[in-house]
Amino acid sequence: MLKIENINAFYGDLQALWGISFEVNEGELVALVGPNGAGKTTTLRVISGLLKPRAGNVRLDNRDLGKEDAHKIVELGISQVLEGGKVFTAMSVLENLELGAFVGRARKVRDETIKWVYHIFPRLEERKTQRAGTLSGGERQMLAIGRALMAKPKVLLLDEPSFGLAPILVEQMFEMITEINKQGVTVLLVEQNVRAALELTNRAYVIENGRIVGQGTGDDLLSFESIRSAYLGDCNA
Amino acid sequence: MSRTSPEQSRRIQIIFILLLIAILVALPQVIKSDSTINLAVYVLLFVSLASSWNILGGFSGQTNLGHAAFFGAGALTTRMLWLSGWNLFPSLLAGGLVAVALALLIGVPAFRLRGVYFAIGTLALSQILYITVGNMLPMISSLPAQDLAVYQLAPRYYLFLAIALFTIGAGYALINSRLGLGIMAVREEEDAAESLGVSALKHKLVALALSAFFGGLTGGAFAFYHVGYYPQLTFGPEWTFDALMMVYIGGMGTIVGPIIGAVFFVILRELLALNLAEMHLIVFGTLFILVVLFLPGGFMGVWGKISKALARQQ
Repeated sequence: MLKIENINAFYGDLQALWGISFEVNEGELVALVGPNGAGKTTTLRVISGLLKPRAGNVRLDNRDLGKEDAHKIVELGISQVLEGGKVFTAMSVLENLELGAFVGRARKVRDETIKWVYHIFPRLEERKTQRAGTLSGGERQMLAIGRALMAKPKVLLLDEPSFGLAPILVEQMFEMITEINKQGVTVLLVEQNVRAALELTNRAYVIENGRIVGQGTGDDLLSFESIRSAYLGDCNA
Repeated sequence: MSRTSPEQSRRIQIIFILLLIAILVALPQVIKSDSTINLAVYVLLFVSLASSWNILGGFSGQTNLGHAAFFGAGALTTRMLWLSGWNLFPSLLAGGLVAVALALLIGVPAFRLRGVYFAIGTLALSQILYITVGNMLPMISSLPAQDLAVYQLAPRYYLFLAIALFTIGAGYALINSRLGLGIMAVREEEDAAESLGVSALKHKLVALALSAFFGGLTGGAFAFYHVGYYPQLTFGPEWTFDALMMVYIGGMGTIVGPIIGAVFFVILRELLALNLAEMHLIVFGTLFILVVLFLPGGFMGVWGKISKALARQQ
């Protein structure tokens, strides 16, 4: 469904991604894991169109997204949740969600989608009239995900949804992500929380220094020696 | 004490606004002093100019340091067409549209880049026009004798009133529309807005075009109002920076802020100019710095804090 081929991306003269290739099939929950600065966020920005790659292709259902602007890519069915959520703090929870259904396709079914989002995140319904700036970190993250779902994406890109959350909330967050995936949304998840991400996903790719260095099922990678020592702090491996 | 419901307070607001408009409409019938009407004309002019600057600067968060270019382009176009025999309203419309064309000329390239390019670009544009118009049209533009003979202040006043209401109304309609929601989303978080399907470039350009159009209309009204002035005058940087200061003082990104800022600024300037001559510039400069440092939301921000504190006490 989503196919990334030989992406090279730069920030100015600095090359951040070196020939990245991977794919996500319909209905899958795939993780992209790796250390800080490996290029995970950059990869998501390339897919969502916020950063134009210098070489390579991004394809959604065989359609090349290379020339499309970010707002157009949303219309085509890919929504990104930015790192830290980036909710509109001055607006209410409901206004944030309504903005999520900005594109024409999603606006027609907005009221139904809001019910669906409230079903996944009941907390958002309780807080709907509240200003987004007054929400806790976990609630903001829920709002950011809910807002992205309002666009009715085929593929949801999640950038560090566990970032800054208390451990108990991280677990809840991952349960909600599994639930979203079960409801038919294909998910590409970027995480530094490698163990939790690998336990959660069908498949995962490991990225280091802007290159894909490993791939496999979550369980495979969990038993992979270099992964255990590098990311899971497992000295006995 | 019974509390007012939202519908009630909305009804009170509407009655208040209608009353205010009625007073403004009746003003030239009641007050016969030309100097008072002239002062009212300047208040309305700056209500329009500040509100039009705010459409771009306040709602979309883009700093325009060359609003005088739009005001001046509107004034020059309207003046030339009107004095050449066009009717007033097509001349005004043409002035607004020339301002929009000029705005897109600078906005299309500058908005593709982020950062200070737009602010610098608009400032440069207005200064280039200021100098060029000064060189090309060095003579004073006066109304012909036959127009002077029938000159009346009241129609000018009503034109300014209509443009002020039109500008404010357009701003209000904008922020309550889907387009306005997109514009404010781009202001808050450009990447987040794009990732929701909001085209940042398109929404900035729409805000810019509206802002320039109303700036140009206001300039056109000035051209209809003024008996004799140097065409260069309307491109002067003070039109930009006075409007900008009014918006900051009153409260950026609100509908009421620019109105309050303009009323406060023009009337205070009138009082100070009478007593202190050019010293009023120092007073406004200081006031502007104080507001930016200590009241980032302007008067409207202070009002918001007070009403919130009162609500908490109840």
